[in-house]
Amino acid sequence: MSVAIDVSHLTRRFGSFAAVDDVSFDVKAGEIFGFLGSNGAGKSTTIRMLCGLLKPTSGTATVGGVDVTSDPEGVKRRIGYMSQRFSLYELLTVDQNIRFFGGIYGLDDAALARRRAFVIEMAGLQGRERTLARDLAGGWRQRLALGCAILHEPAILFLDEPTGGVDPLSRRQFWRLIDELSHSGVTVLVTTHYLDEAERCHRVALIDAGRLAAIGTTAEVKRIFADRPILEVRAANPVEAMRQLDALPEVESTSLFGTAVHAVLRTPSSTPAGIRVALEHAGIAVQSITPVAPSLEDVFLDVIDRARARGGSAA
Amino acid sequence: MIGRKALAVYRKELRQIARDRRTLLILVFVPAFFLLLYGYALNWDIRHIALAVEDRDGTGDSRALVAAFVNSGYFDRVADVQSPADIDRLLNLNTARAALVIPENFGRDLVNGLRPQVQVIINGDNANTATTVMGYAASIVQSAGAALFEGQLREPPVSIEPRIWYNPELRSTLFLVPGLIAYILMITAVISTAISIVREKESGTIEQVRMAPIDTFSFMVGKSIPYFLISLTSAALIVFAAMLLFGLPMRGNWISLLVAVSLFIAGALGQGLLISTAAETQQVAFQAAMLSSFLPTLMLSGFIFPISSMPTALQLVTYVVPARYFLVALRGIVLKGVPIAVLTPQLAALTVYALAMLALASVRLARERG
Amino acid sequence: MRRLRRLVWKEFLELRQDPRLFVLVIIAPIIQLTMLGYAATTDVRDVPVVVADGDRSPASRELIARFDASRNFTVVDTVTSLNDVDAYLQRGTAWVALAIPTGYGAAIHSETPVSLQVVADGTDSNSTTVALGYATSLVNDYAQELVSRRAAATGVRVPGIDLRLRIWFNPQLESRYFMIPGVLALLLLLVTANLAAMGIVREKELGTLEQLNVTPLRRWELIVGKLLPYGVIALIDVLLVTAVAVFWFEVPLRGSFWLLFALSLVYVLCTLGLGLFISTISDTQQQAMMTATFFFLTPMIYLSGFIFPIENMPRVIQYATYLIPLRYFLVIVRGIFLKGLGLAWLWPQAAAMTAWGVIVLGLAVARSRKRTG
Repeated sequence: MSVAIDVSHLTRRFGSFAAVDDVSFDVKAGEIFGFLGSNGAGKSTTIRMLCGLLKPTSGTATVGGVDVTSDPEGVKRRIGYMSQRFSLYELLTVDQNIRFFGGIYGLDDAALARRRAFVIEMAGLQGRERTLARDLAGGWRQRLALGCAILHEPAILFLDEPTGGVDPLSRRQFWRLIDELSHSGVTVLVTTHYLDEAERCHRVALIDAGRLAAIGTTAEVKRIFADRPILEVRAANPVEAMRQLDALPEVESTSLFGTAVHAVLRTPSSTPAGIRVALEHAGIAVQSITPVAPSLEDVFLDVIDRARARGGSAA
Repeated sequence: MIGRKALAVYRKELRQIARDRRTLLILVFVPAFFLLLYGYALNWDIRHIALAVEDRDGTGDSRALVAAFVNSGYFDRVADVQSPADIDRLLNLNTARAALVIPENFGRDLVNGLRPQVQVIINGDNANTATTVMGYAASIVQSAGAALFEGQLREPPVSIEPRIWYNPELRSTLFLVPGLIAYILMITAVISTAISIVREKESGTIEQVRMAPIDTFSFMVGKSIPYFLISLTSAALIVFAAMLLFGLPMRGNWISLLVAVSLFIAGALGQGLLISTAAETQQVAFQAAMLSSFLPTLMLSGFIFPISSMPTALQLVTYVVPARYFLVALRGIVLKGVPIAVLTPQLAALTVYALAMLALASVRLARERG
Repeated sequence: MRRLRRLVWKEFLELRQDPRLFVLVIIAPIIQLTMLGYAATTDVRDVPVVVADGDRSPASRELIARFDASRNFTVVDTVTSLNDVDAYLQRGTAWVALAIPTGYGAAIHSETPVSLQVVADGTDSNSTTVALGYATSLVNDYAQELVSRRAAATGVRVPGIDLRLRIWFNPQLESRYFMIPGVLALLLLLVTANLAAMGIVREKELGTLEQLNVTPLRRWELIVGKLLPYGVIALIDVLLVTAVAVFWFEVPLRGSFWLLFALSLVYVLCTLGLGLFISTISDTQQQAMMTATFFFLTPMIYLSGFIFPIENMPRVIQYATYLIPLRYFLVIVRGIFLKGLGLAWLWPQAAAMTAWGVIVLGLAVARSRKRTG
């Protein structure tokens, strides 16, 4: 499998602040690569460098074989980009937006007609061609924006938080589209802070405070919990339960997951039963304790904690 | 009542304004700065009129006549020319604003009691200046004629002794500064509010406004107060700057001034809000703001061009230009020391304007909110 | 080229979507021009005068009649004493008060020189000077007449100097001829610079500019595409405004229309460049607006010689005005309309304007990179 995106020691500073700090990774052709991290971690900055919108302070990156620093325009010809804000022209209709972007990417009439039909179908916008973009509901706009980004059939697609502020059903439909694109050979690099979406990526990279904290397939990344089982504890008073769990020597860390508490154990030897007894001793009414498979969110929180503890990285 | 909800809107608006530091600074300080600039730079006092001289006589008398022009303090001799073509060139290029042509035999004719004819050619492209130059030239020639006949000519039977009230040195600055104040206040107030609501429309946050359980009136009050305070501060700065640096007098009383300024600002803010509710994009709002405040205030308020000289139809239009009333009030209070009772018609007009604008804006805004 | 065409098409579509903007930039200038054409008159007519006639003789009445008959004055009231004129001047009902002393008629009859007090409201110093000028001329003429009458009666010749005044370019002293060509320059500046600046910043604000930056659209294509529609609008305005000026206001167009059009193109280039520059230093439309209005447009209007003559300004500021393109264009426009000047005379202004435009446009283009560095 060939490499579509190759990033090596990429850094971007703003004054003395390093938004992206010595990041290296690669993305294989046809992969869906997830870029995860909290707000302000450096995801958008990285994408913008890879798209040729921002010049790196140091390091190199090639996208589709083109160096982003020396030939940003060459990069732009080969990629599609969809930003958080679904940058469509509100005052133009669906059709006009498609025609505009198609024209900008240099599609001739025949190609434009073909792609237009494709995008309308893909986005489910039949019958809505003459609606103004601003009159479309969130989910439709999102799909239209995606459609406009792939009119020129780019081999590589950058999606920056493409599902922000969209209902869950639309999100799922959107990801189905991304899957289809990936099947057809398009490389997709997507940033998101919805960790449930990240589970659908082939590989993920976790960014924290500008640095790459973890990278690999979801399974690989979860392997950090190979020796540390996670227990899900349900109690009447989760906050109190959490405090008590923290006090136990077998428990490495805890976090709230909805109404339940996830406790990461230091070793595999501790048993749920033992923990339960300890809690009830402390007066907590435990409803259930079950081992759960680690989710990406667990991974994420853990990675950040470790990074903080280790290097005292910026909070 | 108005109270808490309006206060919330007021606080948010104030915070929004404060965050855009550049805009805030512009709104507060720039007006005073530009008042200084314009007050210093702009005047109509015609001095240093560039004069070209074609003296075909060259006698003591002709030189005395030229000297009369130069010594008047109004004319600067910039060129001596020999031919009409030279005069042509100088006037075309605006290097000279006037040309004095003294014929041959000027001295001789004068002595013999024949009236020699002296020509003064004036550059008419600026009619305003030309009229004044004409006046100067005429009186200089006349008194020069009298001087050249010392003792031989009697005093004219009738003459004029001018007295100027309120502005003895006829400093046009004193005339212009109140106008500048009106202009700057109007622009600032209208423009700042004109985009306030449209901006929310464009960015989509207007939805929150629609949803909020606040009545339209409170909302408007909340939105306007920050701008009112800013404009008032700006006005204070301008007035003090004018007094300090241009010697603008204050012959009336401060309360009247405060009342007049507040009413004027209120009307301008209302106008801006009205525009804001009617426009869909900020571009439109801005153009509308410029169109309705900038040019009318400059041209139709009596700031520069006297209203009584305009055609009747246009004079009627000036009745809806709030700056017109404000200028009368401002000049009256500051320059003439007129008591507030005399200015009741103007203040009433400003109040009516302010109420009308705010009411219209409310109605439109209420309709927007559905 | 195709990309450029697409961009321009999109701009026009967007403009068309908001018909209000269209109205504002095409119709509004015409309305404004018309209003200004009529308003912008510094000619002083029908100056209201109040007369304090302390004499009430046939001679004083003759003088009052003179004032009333003149088109420059209108006598609004006659009172008995100078003290009564206060209220008129305070309210502004009269600008000038004429005081005819008791014994005026007798003085005229006995050929004793008599002087009249004229009190003027100095707050409008411009009009006051002019009004005083008229009053002086009127009284002078009257005095001359008296002298001639006596000369004719007694046969004595009156020596002195005759003055012949000639006004060039504008014999009727229509201030309109001065103002209206200026208004053309003004309107172009207001429409193009503002719209261009805001139009670009709007895309920045909404995020669509970033989307465009990611496409293969070249930088020059983006700039031309964004500015071209406003340039076209401006040129339409030039045609409309010139038509109204010439056919409605009958301002003479003595020079070449094509030269006017060509130099207007250069001027529009300057204003568009200014708009583009402002867009590169503003992040929001509000900032663009404020910056444009306060730091560029208003100073340009006041200091360019549009209304206030540059030669009256302090030296330092006069030097500063060389940086204002409007200054040059005003000279060009007035030169072509009123003086019929051609490029041979106007080339310095044209060159200065072109240089300004190129520099500012260059600066703006350099600043508007597709990639932040």
